[in-house]
Amino acid sequence: MTGVGMNRISLLGTSPRNGMMLLGFMIVMVALPYFLGQSWLSITTEMLILALSASALNIMLGYSGMVSFGPAGMYAVGAYTTGVLMEKLGWGMLPATLAAPVMAGLVGALVGWFCVRRSAVYFALLTLAFSQIIWTVVFQWYSVTGGDDGLVSVPVPDFFFEITNCYYFMLAVVSVCLFIIWKIVNSPFGMTLQAIRENPNRVEFIGVNVKRYQLASFVISSMFLGIAGSMFCLFSGSAFPDYAYWVKSADMLVICLLGGIYNFFGPLVGTVVYTVLTKIISEYTMHWHLVLGGIIVLIILAMRKGVVGTLANYWANRKSAAA
Amino acid sequence: MLLEAKGISKSFGGLSAVSEVDLTIGKEELVSIIGPNGAGKSTLFNLLTGHIRPDKGTVTYKGEDITSRKPYDISRMGIGRSFQKLNIFPRLTAFQNVQASLFSAKKKNHKLFADSCRMLGDEVEEILQSVGLGGQSDTLGGLLAHGDQKRLELGIALALNPELLLLDEPTQGMSPGETVETTELIRGLVRARHISLAFVEHDMSVVFGISDRINVLHQGMLIFSGKPEEVKANEEVQRIYLGKGEK
Repeated sequence: MTGVGMNRISLLGTSPRNGMMLLGFMIVMVALPYFLGQSWLSITTEMLILALSASALNIMLGYSGMVSFGPAGMYAVGAYTTGVLMEKLGWGMLPATLAAPVMAGLVGALVGWFCVRRSAVYFALLTLAFSQIIWTVVFQWYSVTGGDDGLVSVPVPDFFFEITNCYYFMLAVVSVCLFIIWKIVNSPFGMTLQAIRENPNRVEFIGVNVKRYQLASFVISSMFLGIAGSMFCLFSGSAFPDYAYWVKSADMLVICLLGGIYNFFGPLVGTVVYTVLTKIISEYTMHWHLVLGGIIVLIILAMRKGVVGTLANYWANRKSAAA
Repeated sequence: MLLEAKGISKSFGGLSAVSEVDLTIGKEELVSIIGPNGAGKSTLFNLLTGHIRPDKGTVTYKGEDITSRKPYDISRMGIGRSFQKLNIFPRLTAFQNVQASLFSAKKKNHKLFADSCRMLGDEVEEILQSVGLGGQSDTLGGLLAHGDQKRLELGIALALNPELLLLDEPTQGMSPGETVETTELIRGLVRARHISLAFVEHDMSVVFGISDRINVLHQGMLIFSGKPEEVKANEEVQRIYLGKGEK
Protein backbone atom coordinates (compact mmCIF):
# COMPACT_ATOMS: atom_id res chain seq x y z
CA MET A 1 0.00 0.00 0.00
CA THR A 2 1.33 3.38 -0.84
CA GLY A 3 0.83 6.69 0.84
CA VAL A 4 -0.50 8.54 -2.14
CA GLY A 5 -4.08 8.45 -0.98
CA MET A 6 -3.22 9.81 2.39
CA ASN A 7 -1.01 12.81 2.22
CA ARG A 8 -0.33 13.99 -1.21
CA ILE A 9 -3.75 13.59 -2.72
CA SER A 10 -3.75 13.05 -6.42
CA LEU A 11 -7.24 14.57 -6.64
CA LEU A 12 -5.91 18.00 -7.41
CA GLY A 13 -2.56 17.73 -9.00
CA THR A 14 -1.56 19.28 -12.25
CA SER A 15 -2.77 16.45 -14.48
CA PRO A 16 -5.31 17.44 -17.16
CA ARG A 17 -7.95 15.16 -15.64
CA ASN A 18 -7.73 16.87 -12.27
CA GLY A 19 -7.75 20.26 -13.92
CA MET A 20 -10.96 19.30 -15.71
CA MET A 21 -12.54 18.13 -12.46
CA LEU A 22 -11.72 21.41 -10.79
CA LEU A 23 -13.04 23.37 -13.75
CA GLY A 24 -16.26 21.33 -13.72
CA PHE A 25 -16.67 21.93 -10.00
CA MET A 26 -16.18 25.68 -10.40
CA ILE A 27 -18.73 25.78 -13.24
CA VAL A 28 -21.24 24.07 -10.96
CA MET A 29 -20.48 26.55 -8.18
CA VAL A 30 -20.89 29.50 -10.52
CA ALA A 31 -24.14 28.10 -11.91
CA LEU A 32 -25.62 27.35 -8.48
CA PRO A 33 -27.65 30.59 -8.14
CA TYR A 34 -29.61 29.52 -11.22
CA PHE A 35 -30.73 26.33 -9.53
CA LEU A 36 -30.97 27.12 -5.85
CA GLY A 37 -33.67 29.10 -4.11
CA GLN A 38 -32.76 32.14 -2.03
CA SER A 39 -32.75 30.26 1.23
CA TRP A 40 -30.44 27.46 0.05
CA LEU A 41 -28.23 29.97 -1.68
CA SER A 42 -27.90 31.77 1.63
CA ILE A 43 -27.08 28.47 3.34
CA THR A 44 -24.48 27.74 0.65
CA THR A 45 -22.90 31.14 1.25
CA GLU A 46 -22.68 30.33 4.95
CA MET A 47 -21.14 27.01 4.03
CA LEU A 48 -18.43 28.72 1.98
CA ILE A 49 -17.44 30.84 4.96
CA LEU A 50 -17.61 27.88 7.33
CA ALA A 51 -15.50 25.80 4.94
CA LEU A 52 -12.85 28.53 4.97
CA SER A 53 -12.89 28.61 8.79
CA ALA A 54 -12.55 24.85 9.03
CA SER A 55 -9.74 24.77 6.44
CA ALA A 56 -7.97 27.54 8.34
CA LEU A 57 -8.27 25.56 11.57
CA ASN A 58 -7.02 22.47 9.78
CA ILE A 59 -3.69 24.14 8.98
CA MET A 60 -3.07 23.70 12.71
CA LEU A 61 -5.12 20.60 13.41
CA GLY A 62 -4.42 18.34 10.46
CA TYR A 63 -1.17 19.66 9.07
CA SER A 64 0.70 20.74 12.19
CA GLY A 65 -0.84 18.35 14.70
CA MET A 66 -1.86 21.18 17.03
CA VAL A 67 -5.32 20.59 18.48
CA SER A 68 -6.75 24.06 19.00
CA PHE A 69 -9.97 24.47 20.95
CA GLY A 70 -10.05 28.17 20.27
CA PRO A 71 -10.34 28.95 16.54
CA ALA A 72 -13.57 30.86 17.24
CA GLY A 73 -11.55 33.49 19.10
CA MET A 74 -9.62 34.43 15.98
CA TYR A 75 -12.75 34.18 13.87
CA ALA A 76 -14.40 36.70 16.18
CA VAL A 77 -11.38 38.99 16.08
CA GLY A 78 -11.78 39.11 12.29
CA ALA A 79 -15.53 39.69 12.46
CA TYR A 80 -15.29 42.42 15.08
CA THR A 81 -12.35 44.14 13.42
CA THR A 82 -14.39 44.61 10.27
CA GLY A 83 -17.59 45.34 12.19
CA VAL A 84 -16.13 47.90 14.58
CA LEU A 85 -14.10 49.67 11.92
CA MET A 86 -17.14 50.04 9.67
CA GLU A 87 -19.83 50.73 12.25
CA LYS A 88 -17.95 52.75 14.85
CA LEU A 89 -15.15 54.35 12.87
CA GLY A 90 -16.80 54.70 9.50
CA TRP A 91 -14.08 52.87 7.56
CA GLY A 92 -14.85 51.71 4.07
CA MET A 93 -15.50 48.04 3.41
CA LEU A 94 -12.20 47.33 1.70
CA PRO A 95 -9.81 48.62 4.38
CA ALA A 96 -12.06 47.20 7.09
CA THR A 97 -11.92 43.73 5.59
CA LEU A 98 -8.21 43.93 4.87
CA ALA A 99 -7.63 44.91 8.49
CA ALA A 100 -9.30 41.69 9.69
CA PRO A 101 -6.52 39.21 8.81
CA VAL A 102 -3.91 41.71 10.01
CA MET A 103 -5.59 42.08 13.39
CA ALA A 104 -6.29 38.34 13.69
CA GLY A 105 -2.67 37.65 12.74
CA LEU A 106 -1.40 40.03 15.42
CA VAL A 107 -3.68 38.60 18.11
CA GLY A 108 -2.78 35.12 16.85
CA ALA A 109 0.91 35.90 17.21
CA LEU A 110 0.41 37.07 20.79
CA VAL A 111 -1.84 34.18 21.83
CA GLY A 112 0.21 31.68 19.85
CA TRP A 113 3.43 32.81 21.50
CA PHE A 114 2.05 31.59 24.82
CA CYS A 115 0.27 28.52 23.49
CA VAL A 116 3.14 26.89 21.55
CA ARG A 117 5.15 26.81 24.75
CA ARG A 118 3.03 23.82 25.72
CA SER A 119 1.94 20.82 23.73
CA ALA A 120 -0.92 18.35 23.47
CA VAL A 121 -3.69 18.82 26.01
CA TYR A 122 -2.05 21.84 27.64
CA PHE A 123 -1.85 23.55 24.28
CA ALA A 124 -5.51 22.76 23.66
CA LEU A 125 -6.55 24.15 27.04
CA LEU A 126 -4.52 27.32 26.55
CA THR A 127 -6.18 27.96 23.20
CA LEU A 128 -9.57 27.41 24.82
CA ALA A 129 -8.71 29.79 27.65
CA PHE A 130 -7.55 32.52 25.29
CA SER A 131 -10.62 32.24 23.08
CA GLN A 132 -12.83 32.51 26.17
CA ILE A 133 -10.87 35.61 27.18
CA ILE A 134 -11.61 37.07 23.74
CA TRP A 135 -15.25 36.15 24.21
CA THR A 136 -15.32 37.87 27.60
CA VAL A 137 -13.71 41.02 26.22
CA VAL A 138 -16.21 41.14 23.37
CA PHE A 139 -19.06 40.44 25.76
CA GLN A 140 -18.14 43.16 28.24
CA TRP A 141 -16.64 45.98 26.22
CA TYR A 142 -19.93 47.74 25.46
CA SER A 143 -18.50 51.01 24.15
CA VAL A 144 -16.60 49.26 21.36
CA THR A 145 -18.16 45.87 20.68
CA GLY A 146 -21.72 46.55 21.77
CA GLY A 147 -21.36 43.90 24.48
CA ASP A 148 -23.98 41.16 24.49
CA ASP A 149 -26.11 43.13 22.02
CA GLY A 150 -23.36 42.74 19.45
CA LEU A 151 -22.95 44.97 16.44
CA VAL A 152 -26.24 44.88 14.57
CA SER A 153 -26.00 47.60 11.97
CA VAL A 154 -22.65 47.21 10.27
CA PRO A 155 -23.06 49.45 7.21
CA VAL A 156 -22.26 46.89 4.54
CA PRO A 157 -22.71 48.12 0.95
CA ASP A 158 -26.13 47.53 -0.65
CA PHE A 159 -24.41 45.16 -3.04
CA PHE A 160 -24.52 42.48 -0.33
CA PHE A 161 -28.28 42.68 0.22
CA GLU A 162 -28.78 40.77 -3.00
CA ILE A 163 -27.94 37.21 -1.98
CA THR A 164 -26.65 36.27 -5.44
CA ASN A 165 -24.11 39.10 -5.33
CA CYS A 166 -23.11 38.13 -1.84
CA TYR A 167 -22.73 34.50 -2.88
CA TYR A 168 -20.46 35.35 -5.81
CA PHE A 169 -18.36 37.65 -3.66
CA MET A 170 -17.88 34.97 -1.02
CA LEU A 171 -17.21 32.33 -3.65
CA ALA A 172 -14.43 34.49 -5.05
CA VAL A 173 -12.86 35.34 -1.69
CA VAL A 174 -13.10 31.79 -0.33
CA SER A 175 -11.72 30.29 -3.57
CA VAL A 176 -8.71 32.58 -3.50
CA CYS A 177 -8.10 31.87 0.21
CA LEU A 178 -8.43 28.10 -0.27
CA PHE A 179 -6.04 28.27 -3.19
CA ILE A 180 -3.50 30.08 -1.02
CA ILE A 181 -3.97 27.55 1.80
CA TRP A 182 -3.53 24.75 -0.73
CA LYS A 183 -0.27 26.29 -1.88
CA ILE A 184 0.95 26.70 1.69
CA VAL A 185 0.21 23.17 2.87
CA ASN A 186 1.87 21.71 -0.22
CA SER A 187 4.99 23.83 0.06
CA PRO A 188 8.26 22.93 1.80
CA PHE A 189 6.88 24.90 4.74
CA GLY A 190 3.76 22.72 4.74
CA MET A 191 5.90 19.59 4.53
CA THR A 192 7.86 20.78 7.55
CA LEU A 193 4.59 21.30 9.45
CA GLN A 194 3.56 17.75 8.60
CA ALA A 195 6.88 16.41 9.78
CA ILE A 196 6.33 18.29 13.06
CA ARG A 197 2.86 16.75 13.31
CA GLU A 198 4.33 13.30 12.83
CA ASN A 199 7.22 13.60 15.23
CA PRO A 200 8.08 16.97 16.78
CA ASN A 201 11.07 15.61 18.69
CA ARG A 202 12.67 14.14 15.61
CA VAL A 203 12.22 17.37 13.68
CA GLU A 204 14.39 19.21 16.21
CA PHE A 205 17.21 16.91 15.11
CA ILE A 206 16.90 17.78 11.46
CA GLY A 207 17.60 21.39 12.36
CA VAL A 208 14.08 22.79 12.62
CA ASN A 209 13.08 25.22 15.34
CA VAL A 210 9.76 23.53 16.08
CA LYS A 211 8.23 26.30 18.21
CA ARG A 212 8.88 28.88 15.53
CA TYR A 213 7.11 26.80 12.90
CA GLN A 214 4.23 26.06 15.23
CA LEU A 215 3.88 29.78 15.88
CA ALA A 216 3.93 30.48 12.14
CA SER A 217 1.23 27.87 11.65
CA PHE A 218 -0.80 29.48 14.45
CA VAL A 219 -0.50 32.94 12.90
CA ILE A 220 -1.34 31.80 9.36
CA SER A 221 -4.31 29.84 10.62
CA SER A 222 -5.47 32.87 12.65
CA MET A 223 -5.24 35.15 9.62
CA PHE A 224 -7.50 32.94 7.54
CA LEU A 225 -9.88 32.53 10.46
CA GLY A 226 -9.91 36.33 10.65
CA ILE A 227 -10.83 36.56 6.97
CA ALA A 228 -13.63 34.04 7.50
CA GLY A 229 -14.97 36.04 10.45
CA SER A 230 -14.77 39.25 8.47
CA MET A 231 -16.68 37.64 5.59
CA PHE A 232 -19.39 36.48 7.95
CA CYS A 233 -19.68 40.01 9.30
CA LEU A 234 -20.23 41.30 5.74
CA PHE A 235 -22.66 38.48 4.99
CA SER A 236 -24.80 39.04 8.06
CA GLY A 237 -24.19 42.75 8.57
CA SER A 238 -23.61 42.00 12.22
CA ALA A 239 -21.24 40.57 14.78
CA PHE A 240 -22.14 38.80 18.03
CA PRO A 241 -20.17 37.52 21.02
CA ASP A 242 -21.32 34.01 20.07
CA TYR A 243 -18.76 34.07 17.26
CA ALA A 244 -16.04 33.75 19.88
CA TYR A 245 -17.83 31.21 22.05
CA TRP A 246 -16.38 27.71 22.45
CA VAL A 247 -19.43 26.20 20.76
CA LYS A 248 -18.33 27.81 17.52
CA SER A 249 -14.86 26.29 17.97
CA ALA A 250 -16.44 22.91 18.60
CA ASP A 251 -18.44 23.21 15.36
CA MET A 252 -15.23 23.79 13.42
CA LEU A 253 -13.44 20.90 15.12
CA VAL A 254 -16.33 18.51 14.47
CA ILE A 255 -16.43 19.57 10.83
CA CYS A 256 -12.71 18.84 10.43
CA LEU A 257 -13.03 15.45 12.12
CA LEU A 258 -16.10 14.57 10.09
CA GLY A 259 -14.42 15.30 6.80
CA GLY A 260 -10.99 14.03 7.79
CA ILE A 261 -8.09 16.10 9.08
CA TYR A 262 -5.28 14.54 7.07
CA ASN A 263 -6.72 15.69 3.80
CA PHE A 264 -7.07 19.11 2.27
CA PHE A 265 -10.64 18.38 1.20
CA GLY A 266 -11.70 16.96 4.55
CA PRO A 267 -12.88 20.23 6.11
CA LEU A 268 -14.68 21.20 2.88
CA VAL A 269 -16.62 17.96 2.67
CA GLY A 270 -17.14 18.04 6.44
CA THR A 271 -18.76 21.46 6.13
CA VAL A 272 -21.23 20.23 3.52
CA VAL A 273 -22.09 17.07 5.46
CA TYR A 274 -22.49 18.95 8.74
CA THR A 275 -24.55 21.81 7.35
CA VAL A 276 -26.82 19.70 5.20
CA LEU A 277 -27.42 17.24 8.04
CA THR A 278 -28.23 20.12 10.40
CA LYS A 279 -30.70 21.71 8.02
CA ILE A 280 -32.44 18.51 7.04
CA ILE A 281 -32.74 17.08 10.52
CA SER A 282 -33.93 20.33 12.04
CA GLU A 283 -36.84 20.33 9.61
CA TYR A 284 -38.13 17.09 11.06
CA THR A 285 -37.54 17.31 14.76
CA MET A 286 -37.01 19.83 17.52
CA HIS A 287 -34.46 17.50 19.07
CA TRP A 288 -32.16 17.80 16.09
CA HIS A 289 -29.08 18.28 18.26
CA LEU A 290 -29.55 14.80 19.68
CA VAL A 291 -30.02 13.17 16.28
CA LEU A 292 -27.15 15.12 14.72
CA GLY A 293 -24.86 14.19 17.60
CA GLY A 294 -25.77 10.52 17.20
CA ILE A 295 -25.10 10.59 13.47
CA ILE A 296 -21.77 12.35 13.95
CA VAL A 297 -20.68 9.78 16.52
CA LEU A 298 -21.60 7.00 14.10
CA ILE A 299 -19.77 8.58 11.17
CA ILE A 300 -16.65 9.20 13.20
CA LEU A 301 -16.69 5.65 14.60
CA ALA A 302 -17.27 4.08 11.20
CA MET A 303 -14.92 6.36 9.32
CA ARG A 304 -12.00 6.98 11.61
CA LYS A 305 -10.17 9.02 9.03
CA GLY A 306 -13.20 11.12 8.23
CA VAL A 307 -15.35 10.92 5.12
CA VAL A 308 -12.65 12.03 2.69
CA GLY A 309 -9.81 10.08 4.33
CA THR A 310 -11.82 6.89 4.34
CA LEU A 311 -12.93 7.28 0.74
CA ALA A 312 -9.42 8.17 -0.40
CA ASN A 313 -8.04 5.06 1.29
CA TYR A 314 -10.78 2.90 -0.21
CA TRP A 315 -10.02 4.35 -3.61
CA ALA A 316 -6.25 3.86 -3.26
CA ASN A 317 -6.76 0.25 -2.12
CA ARG A 318 -9.03 -0.51 -5.06
CA LYS A 319 -6.52 1.01 -7.43
CA SER A 320 -3.63 -1.00 -6.03
CA ALA A 321 -5.77 -4.15 -5.98
CA ALA A 322 -6.63 -3.63 -9.64
CA ALA A 323 -3.01 -2.97 -10.59
CA MET B 1 39.32 17.04 17.15
CA LEU B 2 35.89 17.36 15.60
CA LEU B 3 33.95 16.84 18.79
CA GLU B 4 35.23 16.97 22.30
CA ALA B 5 33.29 16.36 25.50
CA LYS B 6 35.04 17.23 28.72
CA GLY B 7 33.91 16.00 32.11
CA ILE B 8 30.23 15.86 31.24
CA SER B 9 27.92 14.60 33.94
CA LYS B 10 24.21 14.14 34.23
CA SER B 11 22.12 12.71 37.01
CA PHE B 12 18.42 12.08 37.16
CA GLY B 13 16.96 12.49 40.62
CA GLY B 14 20.16 11.52 42.42
CA LEU B 15 20.92 8.66 40.05
CA SER B 16 24.07 9.41 38.15
CA ALA B 17 23.52 8.45 34.50
CA VAL B 18 26.72 9.88 33.06
CA SER B 19 29.58 11.04 35.20
CA GLU B 20 32.75 12.87 34.29
CA VAL B 21 32.94 11.48 30.79
CA ASP B 22 35.65 12.70 28.42
CA LEU B 23 35.03 11.74 24.84
CA THR B 24 36.68 12.77 21.62
CA ILE B 25 35.79 12.08 18.04
CA GLY B 26 38.37 12.91 15.41
CA LYS B 27 37.81 13.82 11.82
CA GLU B 28 36.63 10.84 9.77
CA GLU B 29 37.06 8.61 12.78
CA LEU B 30 34.73 5.67 13.42
CA VAL B 31 34.11 5.49 17.13
CA SER B 32 31.88 3.08 18.97
CA ILE B 33 30.44 3.29 22.44
CA ILE B 34 29.71 0.05 24.21
CA GLY B 35 28.56 -0.88 27.65
CA PRO B 36 25.94 -2.93 29.45
CA ASN B 37 22.30 -1.81 29.52
CA GLY B 38 21.94 1.30 31.63
CA ALA B 39 25.58 2.27 31.22
CA GLY B 40 24.52 5.71 30.01
CA LYS B 41 25.15 5.34 26.30
CA SER B 42 21.95 6.89 25.04
CA THR B 43 22.12 9.58 27.71
CA LEU B 44 25.59 10.43 26.49
CA PHE B 45 24.27 10.84 22.94
CA ASN B 46 21.44 12.99 24.23
CA LEU B 47 23.96 15.18 26.03
CA LEU B 48 26.07 15.59 22.92
CA THR B 49 23.13 16.60 20.71
CA GLY B 50 21.47 19.06 23.06
CA HIS B 51 18.52 16.83 23.83
CA ILE B 52 19.33 17.17 27.51
CA ARG B 53 21.71 19.57 29.22
CA PRO B 54 24.64 18.29 31.21
CA ASP B 55 24.85 19.22 34.89
CA LYS B 56 28.57 19.69 34.46
CA GLY B 57 31.16 19.71 31.72
CA THR B 58 31.40 21.09 28.22
CA VAL B 59 30.90 19.86 24.70
CA THR B 60 32.76 21.54 21.90
CA TYR B 61 32.29 20.94 18.21
CA LYS B 62 34.86 22.27 15.77
CA GLY B 63 36.18 24.39 18.60
CA GLU B 64 32.80 25.93 19.38
CA ASP B 65 31.07 25.42 22.70
CA ILE B 66 27.74 23.70 22.01
CA THR B 67 26.98 22.62 25.57
CA SER B 68 23.77 24.56 25.99
CA ARG B 69 22.73 24.88 22.38
CA LYS B 70 19.34 23.67 21.23
CA PRO B 71 19.07 20.44 19.23
CA TYR B 72 18.03 22.25 16.05
CA ASP B 73 21.05 24.52 16.33
CA ILE B 74 23.42 21.61 16.83
CA SER B 75 21.86 19.72 13.92
CA ARG B 76 22.36 22.74 11.68
CA MET B 77 26.05 22.77 12.58
CA GLY B 78 26.42 19.39 10.93
CA ILE B 79 25.68 16.75 13.54
CA GLY B 80 23.11 14.21 12.44
CA ARG B 81 21.76 11.47 14.65
CA SER B 82 19.48 8.49 14.81
CA PHE B 83 17.70 7.05 17.79
CA GLN B 84 17.58 3.74 19.56
CA LYS B 85 13.81 3.55 19.26
CA LEU B 86 12.45 4.00 15.76
CA ASN B 87 12.07 7.67 15.16
CA ILE B 88 10.75 8.56 11.74
CA PHE B 89 7.70 10.35 10.33
CA PRO B 90 5.29 7.42 10.09
CA ARG B 91 2.53 9.01 8.03
CA LEU B 92 4.84 10.60 5.49
CA THR B 93 6.16 8.55 2.61
CA ALA B 94 9.79 7.42 2.63
CA PHE B 95 10.39 10.10 0.01
CA GLN B 96 8.84 12.80 2.19
CA ASN B 97 10.74 11.62 5.27
CA VAL B 98 14.03 12.32 3.56
CA GLN B 99 12.70 15.36 1.73
CA ALA B 100 11.63 17.06 4.97
CA SER B 101 15.16 16.68 6.27
CA LEU B 102 16.67 17.88 3.02
CA PHE B 103 14.42 20.98 3.02
CA SER B 104 15.85 21.84 6.39
CA ALA B 105 19.44 21.19 5.34
CA LYS B 106 19.03 23.34 2.23
CA LYS B 107 17.17 26.05 4.14
CA LYS B 108 14.12 25.69 1.97
CA ASN B 109 11.57 24.85 4.63
CA HIS B 110 10.40 28.40 5.12
CA LYS B 111 9.26 28.59 1.49
CA LEU B 112 5.52 29.17 1.74
CA PHE B 113 4.29 28.95 -1.81
CA ALA B 114 6.73 26.77 -3.75
CA ASP B 115 5.38 23.39 -4.80
CA SER B 116 7.13 20.79 -2.69
CA CYS B 117 5.89 17.77 -4.62
CA ARG B 118 9.06 16.72 -6.47
CA MET B 119 11.32 19.45 -5.16
CA LEU B 120 14.90 18.19 -4.71
CA GLY B 121 13.53 14.90 -6.00
CA ASP B 122 16.77 13.65 -7.53
CA GLU B 123 18.72 14.21 -4.37
CA VAL B 124 16.04 12.54 -2.26
CA GLU B 125 15.99 9.50 -4.54
CA GLU B 126 19.77 9.34 -4.44
CA ILE B 127 19.76 9.26 -0.65
CA LEU B 128 17.02 6.62 -0.59
CA GLN B 129 19.05 4.57 -3.06
CA SER B 130 22.16 4.93 -0.97
CA VAL B 131 20.47 3.48 2.12
CA GLY B 132 18.91 0.67 0.11
CA LEU B 133 15.36 2.01 -0.12
CA GLY B 134 15.39 2.75 -3.82
CA GLY B 135 12.06 1.22 -4.73
CA GLN B 136 10.19 2.34 -1.62
CA SER B 137 9.77 6.07 -2.24
CA ASP B 138 5.99 6.06 -2.07
CA THR B 139 5.60 3.73 0.88
CA LEU B 140 4.52 5.34 4.12
CA GLY B 141 7.38 5.35 6.60
CA GLY B 142 5.31 3.61 9.23
CA LEU B 143 4.49 0.73 6.88
CA LEU B 144 8.10 -0.14 6.06
CA ALA B 145 9.64 -3.25 7.56
CA HIS B 146 11.58 -2.69 10.78
CA GLY B 147 15.00 -2.85 9.18
CA ASP B 148 13.89 -0.52 6.42
CA GLN B 149 12.64 2.00 8.96
CA LYS B 150 16.06 1.88 10.60
CA ARG B 151 17.65 2.56 7.23
CA LEU B 152 15.14 5.33 6.56
CA GLU B 153 16.24 6.98 9.78
CA LEU B 154 19.78 6.79 8.53
CA GLY B 155 18.58 8.44 5.32
CA ILE B 156 16.93 11.26 7.29
CA ALA B 157 20.20 11.87 9.11
CA LEU B 158 22.27 11.70 5.92
CA ALA B 159 20.04 14.25 4.20
CA LEU B 160 21.44 16.83 6.62
CA ASN B 161 24.79 16.28 4.96
CA PRO B 162 26.39 15.88 8.38
CA GLU B 163 30.06 15.91 9.18
CA LEU B 164 29.41 13.89 12.28
CA LEU B 165 26.86 11.15 12.57
CA LEU B 166 25.71 9.73 15.90
CA LEU B 167 23.85 6.44 15.50
CA ASP B 168 22.17 4.85 18.48
CA GLU B 169 22.00 1.12 17.84
CA PRO B 170 21.66 1.30 14.06
CA THR B 171 21.17 -2.44 13.68
CA GLN B 172 18.88 -2.96 16.66
CA GLY B 173 16.23 -5.58 15.98
CA MET B 174 17.78 -6.69 12.70
CA SER B 175 18.47 -10.27 11.71
CA PRO B 176 22.15 -11.35 11.62
CA GLY B 177 22.11 -11.10 7.83
CA GLU B 178 20.60 -7.64 7.86
CA THR B 179 23.07 -6.57 10.53
CA VAL B 180 26.05 -7.48 8.38
CA GLU B 181 24.49 -5.77 5.38
CA THR B 182 23.64 -2.59 7.28
CA THR B 183 27.05 -2.44 8.91
CA GLU B 184 28.70 -2.60 5.51
CA LEU B 185 26.28 0.01 4.24
CA ILE B 186 27.09 2.40 7.07
CA ARG B 187 30.80 1.90 6.75
CA GLY B 188 30.64 2.50 3.01
CA LEU B 189 28.53 5.61 3.40
CA VAL B 190 30.62 7.32 6.04
CA ARG B 191 33.84 6.56 4.19
CA ALA B 192 32.49 7.79 0.87
CA ARG B 193 31.07 10.95 2.39
CA HIS B 194 34.00 11.56 4.71
CA ILE B 195 31.73 11.54 7.75
CA SER B 196 32.91 10.96 11.29
CA LEU B 197 30.83 8.36 13.04
CA ALA B 198 30.04 7.59 16.64
CA PHE B 199 27.69 4.73 17.31
CA VAL B 200 26.22 2.77 20.17
CA GLU B 201 25.98 -0.91 19.50
CA HIS B 202 25.43 -4.19 21.30
CA ASP B 203 26.47 -6.48 18.49
CA MET B 204 30.19 -7.11 19.06
CA SER B 205 30.81 -8.27 15.51
CA VAL B 206 29.67 -4.85 14.33
CA VAL B 207 31.68 -3.03 16.97
CA PHE B 208 34.92 -4.83 16.34
CA GLY B 209 34.29 -4.92 12.62
CA ILE B 210 34.18 -1.21 11.92
CA SER B 211 35.46 0.77 14.91
CA ASP B 212 38.71 2.72 14.78
CA ARG B 213 38.32 3.22 18.49
CA ILE B 214 36.03 1.73 21.10
CA ASN B 215 34.82 3.52 24.21
CA VAL B 216 33.58 1.42 27.07
CA LEU B 217 31.01 2.91 29.42
CA HIS B 218 30.16 1.34 32.74
CA GLN B 219 27.75 2.80 35.27
CA GLY B 220 27.96 6.17 33.63
CA MET B 221 31.73 6.29 33.57
CA LEU B 222 34.09 5.92 30.67
CA ILE B 223 36.34 3.12 31.84
CA PHE B 224 38.35 2.54 28.72
CA SER B 225 38.97 4.00 25.30
CA GLY B 226 41.23 2.40 22.75
CA LYS B 227 41.70 0.40 19.58
CA PRO B 228 39.69 -2.81 19.18
CA GLU B 229 42.66 -5.01 19.98
CA GLU B 230 43.47 -2.99 23.08
CA VAL B 231 39.90 -3.36 24.27
CA LYS B 232 40.08 -7.10 23.72
CA ALA B 233 43.26 -7.24 25.75
CA ASN B 234 42.03 -5.11 28.63
CA GLU B 235 41.20 -7.20 31.63
CA GLU B 236 38.84 -4.80 33.32
CA VAL B 237 36.70 -4.57 30.20
CA GLN B 238 36.79 -8.32 29.90
CA ARG B 239 35.60 -8.68 33.44
CA ILE B 240 32.68 -6.29 33.45
CA TYR B 241 31.43 -6.43 29.97
CA LEU B 242 32.75 -8.73 27.33
CA GLY B 243 32.75 -11.95 29.25
CA LYS B 244 35.11 -14.79 28.52
CA GLY B 245 33.37 -15.97 25.38
CA GLU B 246 34.23 -12.82 23.48
CA LYS B 247 37.99 -13.21 23.57
